[in-house]
Amino acid sequence: MLKNVRIVFSKTDRAKYVSHLDLMRTITRAFRRAQIPLWYTEGFNRHPYLTFAAPLSLGHEGLRETVDIRLEEEMPMDEVVARLNAALPQGIKAVEAAEAVDKVKDLVAAEYTITIHCSADRVKVLLAQSEILVEKRTKKKTMKTIDLKPYFAGAVVTEAGENLCVMEVTLPSGSTENVNPGLFLTALSVSVGEEIQAEFLRKRLLKADGTEFL
Amino acid sequence: MKERLENIFLQVQKPARYTGGELNSVTKNKDEVAVRFAFCFPDLYEVGMSHLGMKILYGQFNNEPDVWCERVFTPDTDMEKLMKENGIPLYGLESWDPIKTFDFIGFTLQYELSFTALLHMLELAEVPLRSADRDESFPLVVAGGPCACNPEPLADFIDIFFLGEGEEVDLEVINLYKEYKAKGYSKKEFLRACTDIEGVYVPSLYDVSYNEDGTVKAVTPLDGVKPTVKKRIIKDLDTVYYPDKFVVPYTDIVFDRAQSEIFRGCIRGCRFCQAGFIYRPVREKSVDTINKQSHDLCRNTGYEEFSLSSLSTSDYTKLEELLDRLLDWAEKEHTNISLPSLRVDGFSEELANRLNVLRRAGLTFAPEAGTQRLRDAINKNLTEDEILETVTKAFKGGWTAVKLYFMLGLPTETMEDIEGIAQLGQKVVNAFYQNPDKPKGKGVTVSMSTSCFVPKPFTPFQWEPQDTLDQLHEKQQHLKESIHTKKISLSYHDAKTSFLEAVLARGDRRLCRVLEAGCQRGFNLDSWSEHFDFDAWMELFAECGLDPAFYANRRREYDEVLPWDHLDYGVTKEFLIRENKLAHAATTTPNCREACSGCGAACWKEGVCVEKRTDRIQ
Repeated sequence: MLKNVRIVFSKTDRAKYVSHLDLMRTITRAFRRAQIPLWYTEGFNRHPYLTFAAPLSLGHEGLRETVDIRLEEEMPMDEVVARLNAALPQGIKAVEAAEAVDKVKDLVAAEYTITIHCSADRVKVLLAQSEILVEKRTKKKTMKTIDLKPYFAGAVVTEAGENLCVMEVTLPSGSTENVNPGLFLTALSVSVGEEIQAEFLRKRLLKADGTEFL
Repeated sequence: MKERLENIFLQVQKPARYTGGELNSVTKNKDEVAVRFAFCFPDLYEVGMSHLGMKILYGQFNNEPDVWCERVFTPDTDMEKLMKENGIPLYGLESWDPIKTFDFIGFTLQYELSFTALLHMLELAEVPLRSADRDESFPLVVAGGPCACNPEPLADFIDIFFLGEGEEVDLEVINLYKEYKAKGYSKKEFLRACTDIEGVYVPSLYDVSYNEDGTVKAVTPLDGVKPTVKKRIIKDLDTVYYPDKFVVPYTDIVFDRAQSEIFRGCIRGCRFCQAGFIYRPVREKSVDTINKQSHDLCRNTGYEEFSLSSLSTSDYTKLEELLDRLLDWAEKEHTNISLPSLRVDGFSEELANRLNVLRRAGLTFAPEAGTQRLRDAINKNLTEDEILETVTKAFKGGWTAVKLYFMLGLPTETMEDIEGIAQLGQKVVNAFYQNPDKPKGKGVTVSMSTSCFVPKPFTPFQWEPQDTLDQLHEKQQHLKESIHTKKISLSYHDAKTSFLEAVLARGDRRLCRVLEAGCQRGFNLDSWSEHFDFDAWMELFAECGLDPAFYANRRREYDEVLPWDHLDYGVTKEFLIRENKLAHAATTTPNCREACSGCGAACWKEGVCVEKRTDRIQ
């Protein structure tokens, strides 16, 4: 069995409007342009093997996202990165590549920086509530109310200007439990009574022990 | 504007259609270019981004250091609403600058039902619709593409039409513009000077008068311009510009693959087909050129599929040799080749297997008509035996589905021809069951799809009346009743959109005011059924005092002045009259490689017109 190569990449600027499905297509084509010898699945409908550990929401930026591939032929890791960067569209950049260490199921959390267009005080008011209830759409398209309070207990908020603050928070991100930081914005908008804007940046993917998923 | 745009992107469906920044899109410094060109496709991104002509011209314009060409498409309803609410005029995808600040706004006219989207885009761009209402501060509005062969319904809105193939003429006009802009000449002076370039039609320099019965009396050139404008053709397809990269969209589009053009024009001369006449003469690209261009494109885009593009792939003279060459690298690189408009019968089994032709495309035929008599009348060179032979072969190979395309309302059509469609479908079904090697435990599906015939300018049928809606509905009903098996599934195209298409295709300048009024009512994207409102259109014609049936359902006399008679596409009126008479006699005309029929396109002395033909050699 060929080994998985894990590529760490960033997805920022205009590329944040690229949906997850479109990202898979985009990255596949970048590998082809880069002439990196991808391993193709066998069978009737052959396609390159490509696995993303954690989809990023449309509109969110990511600094250390991962995609796993398998190589048909040996290629030095720094060459994979260099070739890929020459072929990727603006906003997507390969950061590093190495043989995958962790299993995808080991990924359980992610670190976010959220820039919120609202004063730190108003955010802190919401965080101080005993529960932060928000409606969430389930996979079955029904609505479910969840309490964000336990997930945002460790959030750190700092003032960043007039009507601007930055929140640092680590949230579950994995196959068993996943919390989209966008939910907090929904709760905040309801709490403040107006539509609040925010930019989301996922900084790192983490394992249960708090070290980076690599 | 950047901030306002960023705020709305996340509120719309598929924002990647509006953000630009795709791979191979071109960004320049606007202060370092002399000409900014907004290339507009009057339809949604998914449709427009699939269009080969736009990719060619986008690449070619941007190849010029001092020209910056950007792409513009019709925003979908949700995006349009938010753009209006936020005061964002139509912008170029590359720079996000409003296109009303550009030098040129150019449209490609691919189908008549996009005319309303064109006007709608001008409105969203905050540019006055009528040329006469645009002073020097506005961009020049230009248009080209197949529908420019009768551009009269748009004559009041467009400053310049490009007739024929754009690769050369467009740049000549842009270069002249640069010169005139630098010297500070007026728009009027520039337009007049443009008419000296072959292939340039400035409609405001021609006056149209009408007879009392509504037909055109005369088209009079003003200011000493040429009485007729001749289309441009590219003489050598091996040396003409072809892009070595395409913009690769993030989001899924209709044809998301590389495309290699293998030839222009068509030797066949099917009498209903406008493309078969307006792109004459047939000119091929060499195997070497196609091979190199295909490989470059795949390498620079990363596409996993490319298609060979032409009006009739099987007519490429060295198809097997070409495919051999292409497959050499395509197989190694996991790249698929798709072959649209292909006749599968002429292929060796080995090549068919390598190409996976059937697996990919399924079996598709376009007999267009149900009887041999009518197929002869329309000069559709496909016999029942050929169809049955090929499907039988395919059924032996395990295939169980066939698609057949037909047209209803063809000239000289009778109810017998309609029944012939049902019978042909039945024969295909029978061919399946008569086959001893048929796949076990499986049935056959024959999908028959019918469209409505639309008479088009520059075809032998340009004088023919289109069937009325009642006639078309009656024929659809009759066809449905003539089918006696559940193995055939029948679908038909909406006759009402075909009626409007027929009105616009052979319309004159009086339709400008209908289109203008339609635009004011918000008509847009009429090729999409959810946007098309037939009753509203009929109301509009009534209010404008014009009868759509005059354009769609009236037989024209051979000596009538047609609204496009002052435009010259090479094929002569005498030839088209001859072909029209042959159609009524159900007599076929040989294709361009079998014998020259003297259509007039030989005036360019290019392509098939100067190839060594079998009839000349013998």
